[in-house]
Amino acid sequence: MLEFFRSSAVRVALAFVLVTTAATTAIFGLVYFQIGEANEARNRLILETEAATSVNRSVDELRTAFEVRLTNDLRRIDYAALFDADHKFMFGNVDALPAIPVDGKSHFIAAAHVPGSVDRLEPAIFVVRQRPDGTVMLLGRSLLETLAYGRIVQRALVAGLAPMLLLALGIGAYFARRSSRRLTAIHDTIARIMKGDTDLRLPIGSGRDPIDKISRDVNLMLDEIVRLLVQLKGVGDNIAHDLRSPLAVVHAQLERGLESSSDEQLRSVVKQALAHIDKATLTVAALLRLADVEYGPKSRNFQQIDLSAICADLFEFYEPLAESKSIKMTLETQSPVQILGDSDLMREAVSNLIGNAIKFTPENGTVSISVIREDGLPVVRVRDSGIGVEPGERDKIFQRFYRTSSGHRVPGSGLGLSIAAAIANLHELDLRFTDNNPGAVFEMVGRRR
Amino acid sequence: MANDPEKHVQTILLVEDETEMATEILAELETRGYLVRHASIAEAADAARVGAAAMMIMDRIVFGEDSLVTLEALRKEGVKVPVLVISALSSVDEKVKGLKAGGDDYLTKPFAMVELAARVEAMLRRLVDVRTTKLRVGDLEMDLIEKTVHRGDAKIDLLPREFRLLEYFLRHPGRVITRAMLLQEVWQYHFSLETNVVDVHISNLRKKIDNKGVPSLIVNIRGAGFMLNANA
Repeated sequence: MLEFFRSSAVRVALAFVLVTTAATTAIFGLVYFQIGEANEARNRLILETEAATSVNRSVDELRTAFEVRLTNDLRRIDYAALFDADHKFMFGNVDALPAIPVDGKSHFIAAAHVPGSVDRLEPAIFVVRQRPDGTVMLLGRSLLETLAYGRIVQRALVAGLAPMLLLALGIGAYFARRSSRRLTAIHDTIARIMKGDTDLRLPIGSGRDPIDKISRDVNLMLDEIVRLLVQLKGVGDNIAHDLRSPLAVVHAQLERGLESSSDEQLRSVVKQALAHIDKATLTVAALLRLADVEYGPKSRNFQQIDLSAICADLFEFYEPLAESKSIKMTLETQSPVQILGDSDLMREAVSNLIGNAIKFTPENGTVSISVIREDGLPVVRVRDSGIGVEPGERDKIFQRFYRTSSGHRVPGSGLGLSIAAAIANLHELDLRFTDNNPGAVFEMVGRRR
Repeated sequence: MANDPEKHVQTILLVEDETEMATEILAELETRGYLVRHASIAEAADAARVGAAAMMIMDRIVFGEDSLVTLEALRKEGVKVPVLVISALSSVDEKVKGLKAGGDDYLTKPFAMVELAARVEAMLRRLVDVRTTKLRVGDLEMDLIEKTVHRGDAKIDLLPREFRLLEYFLRHPGRVITRAMLLQEVWQYHFSLETNVVDVHISNLRKKIDNKGVPSLIVNIRGAGFMLNANA
């Protein structure tokens, strides 16, 4: 129950009920007050006018008039009486003058004795006026009607408020229960997620209220966090995996070094060990680089870059290497091919593709680079006449560390294509492989939106 | 290299909280004839303010504090000491941050000691660099305005890239220059390569500038990189 009142919906409902009650009561009160006031003012005017006009009537005429008046007064709200000059009762239904001035003006008396009753007291208005013959005339009217109005208003108020209160409380309770049920569900889900059930997501209802909006945002945030967790674990696993074997090798080498009899032998062992450590260091750097590209901040400072210019630059950079292997390298550009991107990253990706092409192409082969727009989409294509990729290995080459069976003798971290693919992905390009019969074609193609 | 007299007057301040790393750096630079002082970041900053340091090697994170904050403050005060930032934070964004904060060079851990030494040399060399229109080593002369190169009386035709590569060597004669430095400074490539392209470029350049029968002007330094033979 306490839980129930803590619910914000219930609190809102209660506050609403309070405010409505206050407002309604105020309106009813005003109506009551206005009616009462108007009624009293009218009665005052009537009494004063009557008292003024009756001044010139004779005592007998008055007596008759009073009798008619009081006989017709079925509601017993009229007061009329005449007193002599000494304020002694002569006739009428009030036996003593009230303690008000004899000035012909109306006066309010909170508790006047009701004629014909023993102890009924009611509020009333009285006018007492001196007549020319010395007698004193009293006229009065009970304000019972006004009181009756008040009671009607009160009853109406209660009759109107009670169902409204119940309704508001009911609706409040309904929403409170509904939202508390949903909040409980969210709370439970969060608890389970915190315990490691990271695949769970917050429940989403019909979809348009604030709780759903927030749930959706939280779910997106969870997706991002899980993605980062997975990548963190992946990077850690990869580094651990790729450090273990070189460490074991270095360990073995150094042990062998300890046993060595000559300085010459020791030096050679140390050199080998150093080479292994250098390679491991390079791999770690490449892994971190890959993680940086793949999972780094998505909002990089992308600018308009020209793929043609980047490829021309790299072509010039790699040309001497190709020449040294007597590889014929060609460049076909259709300047400029602009995309939104990071030129440093793009250079790195294309550099990987060209470097690979030269690396895996034997002497006297060809490597051709083309930058074009095909169907409006940017394409960077690196075609070589090298060893190509075996059909069975084609879907694995983009995996981390994968070295093709034929490429095993060529040095490399095995991460170049992964990095290139990650960079391509960042630029909304797809890195694809196709066969060149013989050789390989690697192309980065813009995605159709 | 230890006999270079100009090095002995230059104090290098080293800010590094990892004792083993600091010991290695001290040993490496001292064998190369530098005077190195291992200092806390506050000491280093004070020394830099009074001009008592030729350059500073600064670890990016010292005892959990980002030393770039101090570096930025120093730069705001107008302290111009060259600073080499070394850090395990290797992403491009971190490098950019390091350079923006006022670092003159950024080297990521782990690095080879020769790489560090080469950067230090280049940085100290930068100080004595003068605005010049002609660079000369032995009988090799480069005219930076005419964009021409002569070896003795013979004019050597170089491609623009070859010209820039040679210019870099001529600006750092007798200094070890690593492949990474060349990639970064000559080609503005900020990534590592798995191919020996740089070696091919050097070998092409050698073919153009060297005379037959005499040792090459650009020598290989095993495990480090290259050096332009200043005494040729």
